[in-house]
Amino acid sequence: MTMPPFNPSRRQLLAMIGQVAGAAAMYQAMTSLGFAGESGYTGEPDLQGPREGRRVLILGAGIAGMAAAYEMRRAGYEVKILEYQDRQGGRCLTIRGGDRYTEMGGHEIACDFEGDGYLNPGPWRLPVHHRAVMDYCRKLGVPIHPFIIKNNKAFLHSANAFDGRPQRIGHVEKDMRGHVSELLAKSLHQGALDDAVSAEDREKLLEGLRGWGVLDSDFSYSVSDDLGGVRGWDIRPGGGLMADRKPSQPVDLSPLLQSGLWEQLFGFNSYSFEPPMFEPVGGMDRIADAFAREVSDIVQLNARVTRIAQGEDGVTVTYEDGGRGGTVQEESADWCICTIPLSVLVQLDVDCSDAMQKAIAAVPYASAFKVALEFRRRFWEQDEGIYGGISYTDLPLVQIAYPSYGFLSDGPAVVQGAYDTATGGRTFTYSWSTMTPQERIDAALALGRRIHPQYDAEFMSGTSWVWHRVDWSLGCYGQWTEELRDAHYKTLCEIDNRLVLAGEHCSHIPAWLEGSLLSALDAIKRLDQRENA
Amino acid sequence: MTKRRILACIALTLMATGARTQEPPAPAEDTAAAQDTGTLLQRFSDDPDRFTQTDGEALYRTTCQACHMEDGRGDAGAGAHPPLADNPKVASKHFVAGVVMTGYHGMPRFGHQMSDDQVAEVTNYVRSSFGNDHSDPITPDEVADLRAPEDND
Repeated sequence: MTMPPFNPSRRQLLAMIGQVAGAAAMYQAMTSLGFAGESGYTGEPDLQGPREGRRVLILGAGIAGMAAAYEMRRAGYEVKILEYQDRQGGRCLTIRGGDRYTEMGGHEIACDFEGDGYLNPGPWRLPVHHRAVMDYCRKLGVPIHPFIIKNNKAFLHSANAFDGRPQRIGHVEKDMRGHVSELLAKSLHQGALDDAVSAEDREKLLEGLRGWGVLDSDFSYSVSDDLGGVRGWDIRPGGGLMADRKPSQPVDLSPLLQSGLWEQLFGFNSYSFEPPMFEPVGGMDRIADAFAREVSDIVQLNARVTRIAQGEDGVTVTYEDGGRGGTVQEESADWCICTIPLSVLVQLDVDCSDAMQKAIAAVPYASAFKVALEFRRRFWEQDEGIYGGISYTDLPLVQIAYPSYGFLSDGPAVVQGAYDTATGGRTFTYSWSTMTPQERIDAALALGRRIHPQYDAEFMSGTSWVWHRVDWSLGCYGQWTEELRDAHYKTLCEIDNRLVLAGEHCSHIPAWLEGSLLSALDAIKRLDQRENA
Repeated sequence: MTKRRILACIALTLMATGARTQEPPAPAEDTAAAQDTGTLLQRFSDDPDRFTQTDGEALYRTTCQACHMEDGRGDAGAGAHPPLADNPKVASKHFVAGVVMTGYHGMPRFGHQMSDDQVAEVTNYVRSSFGNDHSDPITPDEVADLRAPEDND
């Protein structure tokens, strides 16, 4: 028997490195271990504050604008926010029963949900490595609960596979693992991998594959009680004199490969969607509300910015009080933090460098939409055993997300019945965005009933959101490409005389709250440094 | 999604509505509604990665209409989606086709999801609808000449 290798915990290791080589080396090591590199968040921004009275005007009361206001005011700056809407929170919002919204084109979105279900049109789930969001939730007292991102009982569905019958995520995953393990074991037995795997490792690997893939003594992936214990049962083990248990039957490799369902699993590999995820209890706008509690006394609503003028020593912002066509007013300050989405900003009159003008004009705004449906009962729980999570399909509705709250309750409940963005490269989100609010509900029902036939009997009402029909964002998020970033990103984020931009579009985490927060924190740090230079 | 699947989907919708309406005397509007839903679902492309509609109006209805609206008049609030009606920029076929392919300001590009024929069709539709009456249609070959090389992936 050999000595076990010295295997310090990560904390011990970091402490050792810190002692021997200093903080910089420790930080580098932390990054290698995956601690620090995940998010640029390093806690409170630690601003010095102004040397004399300094006024900061913030444009936009979304999460970036409110976070910047919160921190700058704490550091001693005088802060005011101008906001176009009659509410705070920007794209971090929640739609509930009784809400009405008139989208561009004059279409009214109604939400007539009777229960306590809701739709989060924008952000709707929080990764734990989005440390700025998590830390502000903690500091501002926003309770969170788990958001079930992966539910093995939820479905993968293809209109063309298995006669259109949805398959359980866990079944597809375990069958793929089993078949791949069997294939790999075969290759090892045939000596096909002798160059890559030593004889010693080969035995270890075979032994591991047998357990991992649940292979039988012949290294074959086939039905067995052991497999039942992993994949589930056709007849579940019962009590007393109930029928004998019967393991479930795996799906063969070829139909599984041909179905395309395997590829639908790949989304679960994404670091952004790594479990556990969380959501604010009661709706994503609880985060917006928490910031609003801190800063609402310095927010002026219904102010539509039309011009950002810069002089040597300050900025003057022109706005229409009461929205487009309202009374023209001006507001001056020493600094301006503008969080207006680029899609809107490009249409305003802004004094800044040519390079920044080009950057503002360069970034397209991505399409995204959601449809939410309220049903009389939780048939996904009661009939199908799906408690939270998301089913995926190749139908244009793309995914159905079940509520991670209110489990087992009687009465109405809301599913997010259709959702996609332009990021995946699919055309569907554009087509949904062309529909009237009623048409979106009709389409979500007509498609969704192929996965859940209960739709017809249980449907009560629906609501929706189309980000390209929102006049204050003209799209959902900045749709950066590597080429656009190389050409414009740095310029976009730099302080231009008295003006700095912030928001998810000024981050490497577009569309996420974390991106808007990190962008705001970075912008105010740099402003504060400039102020104290 | 193939055409067959769209059709199957419509058929299912029709059948299901039919079944529901067989018990009480069939109200005509239910069948009409099912047909409307079938038409509505045709707005989705058969291929998730590319638009599959071929005529200009169908392409407009499944892409441009989201922002420029049913009547081509766009809308304005904090920001604006510009109108395509009464818009002097629409006089240039090259400008319209170019914007469809590469995007413009916040507008995303569609060049990688539409063929030369489709870009020509939707450009010509926009320039001959909503009160526009430009008599110089763009050809697919002219669209091909405008195309940025990276669109051909």
